[in-house]
Amino acid sequence: MGERAESQHERQRAEPRGLHLVGQDVYADWEAVYRDNVGRIHRLMYAKVGNRPDAEDLTTEVFLTALKPLRVTASVGEVRSYLLATARTVLAEYWRRTLGRQVTTLDEELGISTPEPTPENPTAPARAAAILAALPERYRRILELRFLGACSLREAADEMGVTVGNAKVLQHRALRQAATVAEKELS
Amino acid sequence: MKTPAWRYVEDLLAGRKPRPFKASEDEAAEVRAAILLRSEQDSGEPSEEFVAALRDRLAGELAEQPAPSTGGRRRFVKITTAAAAAAAAGAVIDHALVTQTAAAPEKQNLVPDNGEWRAVVASTDLPDGTVRPFDLGAVTGFLRRSGGEVSAVSAICTHLGCRLRLDAPERKLNCPCHRTSFNVDGSLAEHELPVAPAPLPSLLVRESGGHVEVFVPPPA
Repeated sequence: MGERAESQHERQRAEPRGLHLVGQDVYADWEAVYRDNVGRIHRLMYAKVGNRPDAEDLTTEVFLTALKPLRVTASVGEVRSYLLATARTVLAEYWRRTLGRQVTTLDEELGISTPEPTPENPTAPARAAAILAALPERYRRILELRFLGACSLREAADEMGVTVGNAKVLQHRALRQAATVAEKELS
Repeated sequence: MKTPAWRYVEDLLAGRKPRPFKASEDEAAEVRAAILLRSEQDSGEPSEEFVAALRDRLAGELAEQPAPSTGGRRRFVKITTAAAAAAAAGAVIDHALVTQTAAAPEKQNLVPDNGEWRAVVASTDLPDGTVRPFDLGAVTGFLRRSGGEVSAVSAICTHLGCRLRLDAPERKLNCPCHRTSFNVDGSLAEHELPVAPAPLPSLLVRESGGHVEVFVPPPA
């Protein structure tokens, strides 16, 4: 992808396109738009829904919605902003449809968006680590085993020397508390 | 203890598509925490299969777009304003401030392959200077008489297909979806989109037997 983007970029520069300012790069065609943005949109969606099947569906929806009206010579920054704005709407609709509440949003990402946005959301892992660190030892442990260690409930229970039933309760309470910590952190 | 919220989290952990349920505030917070922890472990890079499959699907969708019906190559030119960029991005793109308006996309006509003339209103009900909405099922639009001439434009926004509403005092056709508005002659009045939508297509109209008639597709 890197090489391809390079060559499109080169071609772009070789063609004078009216009165564009220096630094206002444009995409060669829809495929260049797609190649450059599909990874970013998918990573963003994954970070917001936590599973691949839904992240893929939502990414598909963003491109299906945004690409047709995007057959234009808009700058790279404008195209990215437009995709992000579309992604925000798509995500909001997804939550309305599934849980009936805005569990996660893209407001933050839109707020910090610039013509050259950072490729991913670097804050998520840092936030997760901070939340885990704020939990009591046993809560942290069960979440680490299940979410980071990919343990089944039984494996996690064995690891902690508790029954499966206990592990369940522990996980449930740990998530509740993690949620509380996360909310506090936000406010 | 297999609550829907518990199942949701287990689905996330298993990488399955989670099942929808009506979440309480607490449950939503729990799901949010679970999602955050999931994204710690996986950067969410898309699979190559997915990227290739979606690319093919998009290629198919874009190939289906009808060719412009009027002569000449359709030009896609943007009209960018600071307001448009800010609305789309939630942030002002600095270089967009100096990008100037270029020529607008060309206007098109909507003509059915075969069709019939259908009376919409009595000619006397469309005095000079008025604009009237009409709905013939397959075709919705706005009729207008100006300088004695009758004309009609489509009532469907050229951005995403929302139905336009007439603001008679302002003589504007407003889109309820994205704050786009058109003049009653179909030209673009204002928008906050990153890309200027095309003007509204014109419909074929005539006056016959004391009625204003619009050429529409035959009933199915």
